[in-house]
Amino acid sequence: MSELARLQRTFLAALRGEGDGELAPHLIAGSHVQACLCVYRDGMGAAWHDELADTYPVVRRLVGPDFFREMAGRYGRSHPSTSGDLHGYGDRLAEFLEGYPFARGLPYLPDVARLEWACHECFHAADGRALDVAALARVPQASQGGLRLGLRPWVRLAASPHPVLALWEANQPGRDGAPDELRGAERILVARADFVVRPSPIGEGQWVFLEALAQGQTLQQAVTRLRRRGLHETFGELLMACASAGLLAGPTGFSGEGER
Amino acid sequence: MASLPRVPAADGAGVGLRAPHYRALLERLPPLAFLEVHSENFFGGGGQPLAWLERFRREYPVSLHGVGLSLGSADALDPGHLERLAGLVRRCDPCFVSEHLCWSSVDGHHANGLLPLPFTDEALDHVVGRISAVQERLGRQILVENVASYVRFAHSAIPEWEFVSEVARRAGCGVLLDVSNIHVNAVNHGFDALRYLDAIDAASVSEIHLGGHEAAGWGLIDSHAAAVAPDVWTLYEAALARFGPRPTLVEWDAGIPEPDVLLGEAAQAKSRLARAAAAATPMGEP
Repeated sequence: MSELARLQRTFLAALRGEGDGELAPHLIAGSHVQACLCVYRDGMGAAWHDELADTYPVVRRLVGPDFFREMAGRYGRSHPSTSGDLHGYGDRLAEFLEGYPFARGLPYLPDVARLEWACHECFHAADGRALDVAALARVPQASQGGLRLGLRPWVRLAASPHPVLALWEANQPGRDGAPDELRGAERILVARADFVVRPSPIGEGQWVFLEALAQGQTLQQAVTRLRRRGLHETFGELLMACASAGLLAGPTGFSGEGER
Repeated sequence: MASLPRVPAADGAGVGLRAPHYRALLERLPPLAFLEVHSENFFGGGGQPLAWLERFRREYPVSLHGVGLSLGSADALDPGHLERLAGLVRRCDPCFVSEHLCWSSVDGHHANGLLPLPFTDEALDHVVGRISAVQERLGRQILVENVASYVRFAHSAIPEWEFVSEVARRAGCGVLLDVSNIHVNAVNHGFDALRYLDAIDAASVSEIHLGGHEAAGWGLIDSHAAAVAPDVWTLYEAALARFGPRPTLVEWDAGIPEPDVLLGEAAQAKSRLARAAAAATPMGEP
């Protein structure tokens, strides 16, 4: 290992609180070395906290800023940043919260975090190309079942046994945090329109259909999933509604792909 | 993307473009020579951030200023990060692409801060190689910025100013000279800031940064949360006298003020740039 690598490893370990002692001989000693190192340590913690606070404003409002700051510190120690681009930081907060003992009294919190992460991803996602409806129509009917459509990059699905969308809505800026009505389980579509990301409740049929497409299933497989729930007769309607809302991409998986 | 001049005039002043000012600046289109953004804020594939950037790009030259490439890290360069930067460069045809002369990651773990390099031959060789690799990948020269620092390494063998000028000379990169950081380091580490300026090759200085700092009990912190201090304005005048006018950008990243306050800082830089330009013009020429 190079001297430089050794020094950087020692430096980062000191910032993470894993032993200032080893770094000390590398630094020009002054009476303020600890305070100076704290500028770097505090900067790292602040960058991570602020990124989480930007991405998870509803989680932060639900638990309060002090709880959130403590949680962010513990998340940072167990999930240090792995990128120079902080926009990917915090992707595992929902799983972290599932095992976070101090959040045990808030069983919906991990799903709220999942919903906020979905919103964050949709906000920054590429536009992607919409479903080529004309190309779809040109595919012989007998082959259509084998097609795979996908979702646009700015579309996500979220589901929870808890009314997380009602909580999300009630904790938007200008709202007092009290949900209008406490619905039960929720299926949620997160999508972007005119640069604004909005989560909205969707029915079981649309959920089953979009989930199948998101998982790379063929149209035939999507119909089969709908049939299991007695919803297969809505297939055509779902396809048209989702296509006209611009949610779908593709198609892929047919021999005419790429032809004019 | 635009038919604007790609590069700001040498006596042009600009500001760091931050989200709270997007609407106000687009409505007013103040006479700024350029804008600068943090590259990583536009690494997403689409959506509103890139739409804003493209609207501003139609009105101003834009400089991409990276905070996360970790040029001085002993790790391998992150190919995904470099790829996203290259994509953004293609997309917005920036006037400058800059990164910091520092490191922020090791073993794949990032501190997401600007950590100091030891000024050694080993670090010099390493960072020169990395800058060359980045310039090759991007197909253009980049600028590297001197950073503020709060500790010094016992085995640093080269003065910071020699390290910076050697990096520029050997890598063929430009220098983004942060005059505020020179002042902060001069106070923190007890050197003469003018000596630093004297050591830098004028031809390598492509851009100047100014930003606010704050005092701690033991020294100064480069916080970008305040107006440029009087001592820094004085040092900036010395820099312009030494290098001639250079496109100058004012950064303000925390406790972001009303647009007029930031534009006032840019106007202060502009008036000094105009004086420096006049002083640099021989008598009788326009």
